[in-house]
Amino acid sequence: MTDPDHDIEQALASLRPRAPAAVAARLAAELDPPASRRGVIIAWSAGLSALAAALVAAFVFLGGVAEPEAPTYRLVQVEQTRPDVQFFRPVQMEDGSFARPMRVRWQDTTRWEDARSNTRLINYRPNDQLTLLPLETN
Amino acid sequence: MHDAHSGQDWRAWFAEHGARLRLIARQWARSEADADDVLQEAFVRFWKHQRHLPGNPNALVVTSIRRSALDLLRRSDRRAVREKIVGDDMETVTWFEPEADPRLAALADSLKLLPAEQREVVVLKVWGELTFDEIGEQLSISPNTAASRWRYAMEALRKHITARTHD
Repeated sequence: MTDPDHDIEQALASLRPRAPAAVAARLAAELDPPASRRGVIIAWSAGLSALAAALVAAFVFLGGVAEPEAPTYRLVQVEQTRPDVQFFRPVQMEDGSFARPMRVRWQDTTRWEDARSNTRLINYRPNDQLTLLPLETN
Repeated sequence: MHDAHSGQDWRAWFAEHGARLRLIARQWARSEADADDVLQEAFVRFWKHQRHLPGNPNALVVTSIRRSALDLLRRSDRRAVREKIVGDDMETVTWFEPEADPRLAALADSLKLLPAEQREVVVLKVWGELTFDEIGEQLSISPNTAASRWRYAMEALRKHITARTHD
């Protein structure tokens, strides 16, 4: 016995649903493991304070062992990770308009080295920003 | 279908099944944006907590999608009494990649014209790869009712594309 609907079913199966590219990008933020952090990382809220504190610490330490000169740090690497973008469901604002919250997360890492004393200074700064994208409604 | 129980990467699994899962999510969502939200929430729950469960992973992920969709509908509009809502953009956004074959293009258009209760059975059978028994469980209807809606849908689709191709 033949199935009269078989041809329609086969034709339906040959249709290709659109790929959910936007969803795949959002899933990466939730399912991908966080990037590994190797080595000693000093987390500071601002680069200048990190640099100042490290210079003072190096000065005190090196002074104790009769090191005549403070280390001279040289910038060797500046790195910014690919931002993770996450969209949330639209929300209604107080004025009645709608907006879609968007969260963006990334990390900035700056590294200095002093070749003479073989010391490193690493400034690691995680960033997390939440913004609202206005939506136009008809 | 690839085995979701194995330790494979979620990207590979989603690349193979994401498109059809989104089409399923779209049947129970008000809009394209809601369908994206539903699929994201359902897939994360499935991948983190359910893929290692025994049974058909396909049915598990479809169940997860339906649960997320109904949760979203309840959250977004508690006054809604219908579980299947045809969104405003239903007629303007294409669900499928463009087809060169006019018969297939007509079929893709005709699918949207089906009543929602027939369309969801078609989508669950063709792209959800579920049996009538499994569709009945998903929709809380009997397998016979699911099969009956399928037959009505096939008949309607045949009429639609015959009329379209004769225009």
